[in-house]
Amino acid sequence: MIWMARVLAGPILWGALFSGIYGLHGLGCGLDWPTRDTPLGALHPPAMIAAWLLGLALHAALIRWNRASGDARQAMLVRAGNWIGAVASAVTLFPVIATSTCG
Amino acid sequence: MTEDPHAIASNPPQKALPLHRQMDRIWSDLPGWRGSIASVNHGTIGLRFMATSFLFFSIGGVLAMLIRAQLATRDGAFLDTQLYNQIFTMHGSIMMFLFAIPMLEGLAMWLLPKILGARDMAFPRLGALGYWCYLFGGIIILSSLLFGVAPDGGWFMYVPLSGKTYTPGISADVWLLGVTFVEISAMAAAVEIIVTILRLRAAGMALTRMPLMGWYMLGTAAMMLVGFPPLILGSILLELERAFDWPFFDVLRGGDPMLWQHLFWLFGHPEVYIIFLPAAGVLSTIIPVFARTRILGYGAIVAAIVGLVFLSFGLWVHHMFTVGIPHMALAFFSAASALVAVPTSVQIFAWIGTMWAGRVELRLPMLHVIGFFATFVMGGLTGVMLAMVPFNWQAHDTHFVVAHLHYVLVGGFVFPILAGITYWMPMISGRFRVRALGEAAFWLIFLGFHGTFFIMHLTGLLGMPRRVDRYPDNPEWEWLNLVSSIGGMVMSVGFALFVLDIAMQWLFGRRSHRNPWKAQTMDWAMALPAPSYNFASLAGPGRHDASVTLPLARGEGLLPGAPRDRREVLVTEPGTGRPDHVAVLPGNTRLPIWTAAAVGSFFLLMLAGLYWATPLAILLILWAGWQWGGLMGSRRDAEPLAVAPGLALHEHWQVRNTLAYSGTVTLLVADATLYASLLFGVAFLTVIAPNWPPPESGLGWPVLLTGAAALLVMGLGLVASLLAEAQRAAPLGRLAALAGVAAAGLALLLLAGVAWQFDDPTRHARDALRAALLGYAGFHGVVTLMLALRSLADARQGRTSTMRRGAAPVWQLFQAFWLGTSALSLGVIALQEIG
Repeated sequence: MIWMARVLAGPILWGALFSGIYGLHGLGCGLDWPTRDTPLGALHPPAMIAAWLLGLALHAALIRWNRASGDARQAMLVRAGNWIGAVASAVTLFPVIATSTCG
Repeated sequence: MTEDPHAIASNPPQKALPLHRQMDRIWSDLPGWRGSIASVNHGTIGLRFMATSFLFFSIGGVLAMLIRAQLATRDGAFLDTQLYNQIFTMHGSIMMFLFAIPMLEGLAMWLLPKILGARDMAFPRLGALGYWCYLFGGIIILSSLLFGVAPDGGWFMYVPLSGKTYTPGISADVWLLGVTFVEISAMAAAVEIIVTILRLRAAGMALTRMPLMGWYMLGTAAMMLVGFPPLILGSILLELERAFDWPFFDVLRGGDPMLWQHLFWLFGHPEVYIIFLPAAGVLSTIIPVFARTRILGYGAIVAAIVGLVFLSFGLWVHHMFTVGIPHMALAFFSAASALVAVPTSVQIFAWIGTMWAGRVELRLPMLHVIGFFATFVMGGLTGVMLAMVPFNWQAHDTHFVVAHLHYVLVGGFVFPILAGITYWMPMISGRFRVRALGEAAFWLIFLGFHGTFFIMHLTGLLGMPRRVDRYPDNPEWEWLNLVSSIGGMVMSVGFALFVLDIAMQWLFGRRSHRNPWKAQTMDWAMALPAPSYNFASLAGPGRHDASVTLPLARGEGLLPGAPRDRREVLVTEPGTGRPDHVAVLPGNTRLPIWTAAAVGSFFLLMLAGLYWATPLAILLILWAGWQWGGLMGSRRDAEPLAVAPGLALHEHWQVRNTLAYSGTVTLLVADATLYASLLFGVAFLTVIAPNWPPPESGLGWPVLLTGAAALLVMGLGLVASLLAEAQRAAPLGRLAALAGVAAAGLALLLLAGVAWQFDDPTRHARDALRAALLGYAGFHGVVTLMLALRSLADARQGRTSTMRRGAAPVWQLFQAFWLGTSALSLGVIALQEIG
């Protein structure tokens, strides 16, 4: 079952990241972060971009180190799981760099 | 040549007929109607689920025809508005909750043990309980239509429309209570399916080698496990608001109707994939058979299933694009909604590739598969259109959406299920079908469907909103609606013909020979119709296809016959499929129907507003639950059973990682999801809802101290549960179980003390949420207390020994879960007070 955990690691990381960043979005809007100034501009966008980039870095780490030593199909499914998670995080959360936060 | 280290020697052959008689005597249902309601066999329960769901499908179809009759002309006088509202609400609710989900549950229950090489599902009584809850709940929901109190707020029951102000009476309660009652069967099925796939596969069948249907059902069940709890929680919260005025959705008192939409669609969108995945499993099973080749891209399909299972939980907000959500959130869900088309397409191309590589025989099941392709692909494409926010804003709540969802659901579920029924009918009935009827039914359904819904896209694009019963000022919609109505009638005739075809096959078809389609999977490695026990002996490593029919029937496989007059199955390790132990499954019993009746009495009392009497129903449920445990356990240590030459395994009473243990872990995943949804509700209302902060609570140290004392006692209970198992052969074990009972009782009292100090839950949503958190803790306290009592009874009645653990491992799981969630809840309340 460790193999199954390896397959699911990427998608689970996406799930955590998606919920976390969506939660951060709601929290930021609720606490009025877009009007709080930081050296990088309003607080909300950099906070979300930082969370996204951190998540992508974790995905990269999974792709690099999360591998299975079983048969070819097992290894393929672990690789696929890693990439499913990474692509999902990249695509579904890219709006953090593309649009306004609470508008 | 090297010898396979996992190989298991064959048992000596026996005469097949005596073996069959011996097995059938143990595994078949009892005679008569009393015997019939005592059945727990997966074959019977699965077929009952499917037959009942098809009956509900027919009723839902009749309601659809009433809708089409009303809309055929712009001033339809067929139904009045009130009745029309009830009918479209009931049509959607029946098709979703009483047809699609139970149909997939029935298919899974009937098919999985056969295709995985097992004799039954992991929890036969749970399957039967699920069926009775489904049947009783369905009858309650349907009866409301006869009494004129049917739900009329649409199948997603948005608040405030479904709140007490705008929907007085019991119609919304029928939906909330009835659907929750029915969903007990979904949760039971999800647990059963997961444990069956992970623990009851044929010996040596590694996960990566199991039939794709196993993967599809595993994905489906995992989604049900996580997808249904938000709906169940939402229904409970709305019912609490309606019954006791706890204001979770009342804006004036800190609630928010958006919370309902989030909870509903957290279930509602994964639901689409919950319905689609089993149907895709049918397709992945059938297509290679009729293409006379192997499925193309097994690994890619498994990866696509994994992708779909996860991504489908990131789409729910696309049902809420018009409610005023910020752009960035819209963009998240729009991107996810478009991305989910990728894993779906991977499967579509794998199926097309399989047909391309093989030589397709256009037999009846394949006609329905072609019907699937033509319909579902179009539904998928309009889904991508609707995933785009600007288009969605234009088409929202129009008939375009109605057309899209029918293309997805009929294409993605009904056609594959029709294919599956025609494919497996020889196994169900043992007969071939009568020629030509089925083909005529298919063409009528196919042409009728597209006649109804293709043109409905245009009706929607012309601006016709859904759920209107008249459109006197829009004559341009009339001919489109008339065409749709005619198409609908044609489709109905097609479905009637389909039912006739099935009946004719069952009654008059000529006897089928074994494996009439020449399939490769193990479900066909048996005589037709399928015997009650499936396999007289179980397949060993490397023998997982239809070619093993005769050796298994002669008892050459593992665990042959029923020499001990018990229902014995082989439990394997989840990943490798290595044999682990032998589980003894329960035989026929009427306990499931009595338990369902007890649960039903609770829902009926709630529906009748007799809240004061519900404690009686709860006592009845607890009594039934206690009886349930009374049938378990053993009072003797047994020698390992001979499974095959050189392979002897313990009975399940003498191992720790039993099916029940796996089932409890699985159930707690669903439980944790429900709790997480409740915490989401707390966070959502705290951050988003207007009219916060709430009034001062005045809670102080006494509450925190009482709560901390409750947690301490729960912790002591956990220690007691660990001791009860570790010292199970010594008098200390019994003492620990007794201490655990006392600890659970005391912790419950302390929680009651916390509740006593809380503010009135009707005052503000924050107070209602606190009461809900405490109610959750109280419920788990009662379950934990019951398990501690069961462990004590085990110890007193000789059901524990050095080898036998009784209920202690399951008690530990619940005790730890109770402690963890209660600590979190009290932490949240403490944070609210500090903040």
